[in-house]
Parts: sequence; C-alpha cells; structure tokens
Amino acid sequence: MKELRFLLAVWKSNLLSAMEYRVSFITQVLGMMLNDFMYFVIWIIFFQQFKDVRGWGVNDMYITYGILASSFGLMSMLFGNALYLSDIINKGRLDYYLSLPRPVLLHTISSRMIASGVGDFVYGFLSYGLSGALTWDGLLRFILATLLATVVFTAFFILLQSLAFWLGMISNFVGLAFNALLTFGIYPITLFDNYAKLILFTVIPAALVGAVPAAFVSSFTWQSLVELLVGALVFLFLAVTVFRIGLKRYESGSAIQVEV
Amino acid sequence: MKRIAKYWFIFQITLLNSLAYPGELIGRSLMIIPFMWVFFQLWKVTFNAAGLDVIGGLTLQDTLWYLMMAETIELGRPQLARTISENVKDGSIAYMLNKPYDFMLYHFSSAMGETIFRAIWNAVFGGATVWFLVGAPAHPLGILVALPAIIGAWVLHFCVNAMIGLLAFVTEDVSAFTWIYQKLAFIFGGLLIPLDFYPQWLQTIAKALPFSSTIYGPARLFVSPSLELFANVMVLQIIWILILSLTLTLVYRHGITRLTVNGG
Repeated sequence: MKELRFLLAVWKSNLLSAMEYRVSFITQVLGMMLNDFMYFVIWIIFFQQFKDVRGWGVNDMYITYGILASSFGLMSMLFGNALYLSDIINKGRLDYYLSLPRPVLLHTISSRMIASGVGDFVYGFLSYGLSGALTWDGLLRFILATLLATVVFTAFFILLQSLAFWLGMISNFVGLAFNALLTFGIYPITLFDNYAKLILFTVIPAALVGAVPAAFVSSFTWQSLVELLVGALVFLFLAVTVFRIGLKRYESGSAIQVEV
Repeated sequence: MKRIAKYWFIFQITLLNSLAYPGELIGRSLMIIPFMWVFFQLWKVTFNAAGLDVIGGLTLQDTLWYLMMAETIELGRPQLARTISENVKDGSIAYMLNKPYDFMLYHFSSAMGETIFRAIWNAVFGGATVWFLVGAPAHPLGILVALPAIIGAWVLHFCVNAMIGLLAFVTEDVSAFTWIYQKLAFIFGGLLIPLDFYPQWLQTIAKALPFSSTIYGPARLFVSPSLELFANVMVLQIIWILILSLTLTLVYRHGITRLTVNGG
C-alpha cells in the first residue's frame, strides 16, 4: 500500500513535468496517434488486396495492433525508464536510486514518463473500437489484456536491459530485441510454424503482447487467460530476479549528479 | 575545386568514423535478418493463398529481393532530422555557422559518409538471408543499374530530413514530424508492400509523389532493370531533388534569420 502511494506520487509528478511544455506534449501525443494510424494504413491496404492470411483478417489486426499499442503506451507512460535501464546502469546513475529508501527497481523504472506513450495508449483503444468487435465484456477483457501485456512488455525490457550488469554497453542488442518484439507482435501469428511460435512465447514474447491477448479479447477462453497470466508472472519473476542478481555486480559511477 | 575538396574530406572522415566501432555497425545491421524472415513468411503465405506465381509483375523471389533493397535503403539512413534539430536546440549550430563551410553541405557530406557502410552491412546480412530463403536474385547486375537511383534516394531523403530538422527553429521538438514522414515513406514509398500490389488508383498517386523515388524506384530497378524504367526513375528523382533542394535552401535561409544565440 505504501509503495502504491509512492508510485502514484511519482506518476503524478512525471505527468506534471511532461505537461510543463504543453505544446510539445500535445504534439507528441497527437503525432504518435497519427503515426500509429498511418502505420496501420499499410495493413488496411494489404488486407483489401489479399483478404486474409490463413484465417487472420483485418479485424484481428485491429485488435492485435490495439493491444500492442495500448500496452506499449502504458509501459512508456508508467515505467518509461524500463526502455533506458541499460543506459542508467552503464552510466552509474543507479547511485541516485540506491541512496533513497524505496525499492530500487520500481523507483528507477517509474521515474520517467514518455509523453508519446499517451498517444499509443489512447490509439490502442480507438483501434479496438474500429475492429467492429466492441462490446462491454470485450472492453473489460481488452483492459485486462492490456494490463497483463504491459507487465510482459515491462518485464521483458527489465530482463533484457539488466544484462548490462554483465555485458556493459548493449544498446544495439536492446534495439534489435525491441524491433523484433514489435515486428513479430504485429504480424499474424498464423504465419509462423510451431518452432517459431515456441520462440514467440519465450525468447521474444511477441505472442504474449499481440496474438494471445488479441484472442482473449475476441472471445473469452480459460486457456488464453491462463497463458497470459502465467506469461506475465513468469517474465516478472525472471526480470526481478535477474535485476537483483545483477545489482550485486553494479559498479558505482561515483558521480555527483542531480536528478531532474 | 578547393570548395568541393573540404566536403570530400568531411565525407571521408565520417566514413572512417563509422568504422571505428565495427561491433556497433554490425550489431545494428543484424536487425534486417528478422525483418526478412517475417517478410518471407508473409509473402509465401500470400502468394500461396492467391494461387499466383506473379503478382503485379513480381514473383515471390523478386518481392523478397525488392524488400531487401527497400530495407537496405531505409535502414542505412542516419537520423539526420534529430541531429540537426539537436544542433538548433542546444545552440551548437552557432559554433558551426562561423566555420568555413556551409552548414547544410557539411551535414550532407557527413550523412552520406555515415550511410555507406551501414547500407553495405544491411545489404550483406539482408542479401544473405534472402538468398538462403529464395535463392539468388533474377538479375544480379540490377544493382549496378539501381546504384545511381539509390544515391538519388539518399539525396532526396537528406533534403526532407534536413527540412524536418530545421523545423526545430519553430517547434523545438521535431520527433512527431519525423514519425509522420517515416510513415508516409512507408505507405507511399512501398517499404513494406511493393507499390505494384496496391489498387491502381493508389499506385498512380504514390508513384507520382517523391516518396516513391526514395524507396520504390531504386528497389524496383534492382529487381527489374530496364532502360525505360531507369529513365523514368531518374527523371522523376531529378525533378524532386531540384524542387526539394530549392525548398530546403529557402527554409534554411529563413530559419537562420530566426536564430537567437544567447551567451557564448
């Protein structure tokens, strides 16, 4: 409860700080929504010409894209530093968080809000609305699926970027994994054979942020709910464990700095 | 001659700089491998579902080699708009303006130097992946015909990105404009779907816009090299380069008049 109050206070101050430059904030939010829509136009053109991919149609794409955008957006809004964690580790900037009486990982990742994430988050809901499958229970499942996919996204980036404790500069590797996750997440899962699907549930958990939550939103099944819950919990456990083990190897930057 | 020589040196220095961190250069280029693999899965299924060997004049093999070239051009481009907007925002433009070179030509030489090895590595990894998946390109020498168009595509890209970077004189943050330009290039440039697969009305519009000269033209020339296509692509590209470089010059001159430098 204490940590939740702390998180709410951090998020509030992040929002106020992002809103300080009002025009820049609005440009980024609207710009990202337009960007998301324009990327989706390519899929609209594709499905207009080729109808479906092994039973996967444009409406499935609207839902998948919606989940992916909203969950990525939510992570960027609430845990924006998850995307910069390896940089923070390498530059010795964990010193600041280590010196404060709050959980280091939680404090670090929640200390940045990426304004464009608001655009992604909102666009995801619009995309779901455009799918033609909008119902009240579907919307509740969309919200739950978005929350669980956000956990997977955040945990995946913590896990990946914690490798910086052992490997040092890994920005290229992170970029590669980031692009792979988003690329595989948006493409119809029916394209891939069983071996590829195994990779998409484990090494690059694209199925857990795209196809599985989308299937759960389309129609409730216990199987997809369990897959999502187990996936989110396992990735969260791995992320926290690897970060904790890595933290023992952390070398201080010994830099005097002020966090703004 | 001396005027050109200094830009040639800037180009060479950036080119050598890009080799200083080979791990980073290669690591960045590996991204093309999963992209090509996903494209192969998508288009293999699509060609099978359509029951066709040729769509819009392209076979599956042509489509994959087209996409490899399109990605090579796109992924080779440096983040120029961001660099220029940073120069404007942090005031470092003030230190560059009093140097004995033209600010825009400096960035052009530097961007081209940064592009060459990035593009080569993308072509090596992307080409190896596509070769493994669908075999050799139908016209390997198409690369020689496409080369002038590839360079033209980078020149066009420079003009648009430099203009976006200069918007920082007015708007401070230019990332939203960069995303939107990138997506326009995706749609009208044919980065993810060759323009030949589009409905006819959209093809006509897309092929007349500058975006098609930045991706579709050179990539299509690579897979179907012909004198007629070469002439069409080059004429359209030259027209757009003239229009956009002139516009860039005007935008730059106007932007400089708005520059305020505080302190030193």
